[in-house]
Amino acid sequence: MPSTEDDRQVRISKIAGRYLVFDIDDVAYIRRQHGICAVFTGTMPQNPTQNVFLGLPLELYAEDAKMLLDRKVAYIADDPLEHLNKLKSMDDETRKSYLQSIKTQRRTAQLVFDEAKAQSQARHKDKRKPKQPPVVVPTELPPASVADDAAVEQEEGGEESFFESPSKPVKTAPVAPQKPPVKEKLPAITPTTSNAMIHNGTSNPDVENHTALPLYSYLNERGYFITPGLRFGGDFSVYPGDPFRYHAHYMANSYGWDEKIPMLDLVTSGRLGTAVKKSFLMGGQKPATGDSEAGELRAFCIEWAGM
Amino acid sequence: MSVDQHLQALTKVVVNNLENQHDWTQVQTHNQDNLPRPLLYGLAPKRLYVHPDEQIEIIKAEKELNERIPQEPELEWVLPLHLAEKWSISDFSAVFDAITAIPPGGESVNANEDAQWQLWRGRKRGKRILLATVQDDSTVTYYWMHNGLVKPRQN
Repeated sequence: MPSTEDDRQVRISKIAGRYLVFDIDDVAYIRRQHGICAVFTGTMPQNPTQNVFLGLPLELYAEDAKMLLDRKVAYIADDPLEHLNKLKSMDDETRKSYLQSIKTQRRTAQLVFDEAKAQSQARHKDKRKPKQPPVVVPTELPPASVADDAAVEQEEGGEESFFESPSKPVKTAPVAPQKPPVKEKLPAITPTTSNAMIHNGTSNPDVENHTALPLYSYLNERGYFITPGLRFGGDFSVYPGDPFRYHAHYMANSYGWDEKIPMLDLVTSGRLGTAVKKSFLMGGQKPATGDSEAGELRAFCIEWAGM
Repeated sequence: MSVDQHLQALTKVVVNNLENQHDWTQVQTHNQDNLPRPLLYGLAPKRLYVHPDEQIEIIKAEKELNERIPQEPELEWVLPLHLAEKWSISDFSAVFDAITAIPPGGESVNANEDAQWQLWRGRKRGKRILLATVQDDSTVTYYWMHNGLVKPRQN
């Protein structure tokens, strides 16, 4: 993952026709730098029915994905396909680096546990001090997270054998092995992502169904933030800045240049927009003609006139 | 009924409604070659539209002067439409491209352009049209249509 924001490539996973972002840093980046909030769609495995506080992944509109792609700050990965490919075709070096990354994560976990332990010990020591002046050396405790040492060893054995090349016989029985005594005792972890396995991909499946793109990028370029508009009765709600800070100014619909719009739609949308203190924004782009390619985009705002 | 007759009747309904229900004055029909149909313009009894930024300027000016600034009505464009019609973005664009922001005869109302708030009646005024949508029972509904992104009023 590039650390500077300049060369960041947002990974957009295309899964079942939806565009998802799984990296929280990417989410922050596209929100800060590109004015895209999109919608969090992930719920918690422990409580999958709650739908008020949603988290990763972030689901993008096709328009968002296309826009990021056009700005060359993202790539789209056909996730199911790429994942399987990566797993099947993993060479020795990749396998090693993946195992190494797992180890690093485990070390980090160990550090966190150690720190927590040290802190709690220090706290207890402070409490006891007035009563017991002689310093008591705290007894060595096993790592906080590990209930069963044998389990750790099993995990370690299992993990390594899982990625062993098929030529070697795969150990299946998790009998406690004769471990070399020098081996570090690290807590077992369950990786929740396979990020480390995937390096910057380049697969770019086509983005489809971005009919509202002209209006969408027109608004985005002018600093507007766009969220789904159903709650106000339109295709999009358009905010003059981050929705955390502003109320929406417009409810927007995108139309084709020559798409005939029934007058009743304008009246009802205008009325509805005014009722929620917004104005109804309609926009469309002039199609490309022979010599000029991208036509101008025209946007109109409709409000109730109060008479 | 030919298209011309239909448009004439439509325009007449709107003129009658403006003059008799909404007390508009100086209602004029405006014909122009590049317009798909005649437009109307006229003067409402009180000012119909104040841009939110203009409102801020007015409040500032009122604080400075320590008195209320009376808001004279402005000439406004009106586009007569029937509810059964269907218009596209390109149709509306054609109308907006054909008109000036201020209807004919509306420019002279504000000679003094020193005050910021008064610019909104002059060169800062954006193009806007009142859509007058007529239904068969002669109900007419009025909606503002602004050219470009114009933020909503604080109502």
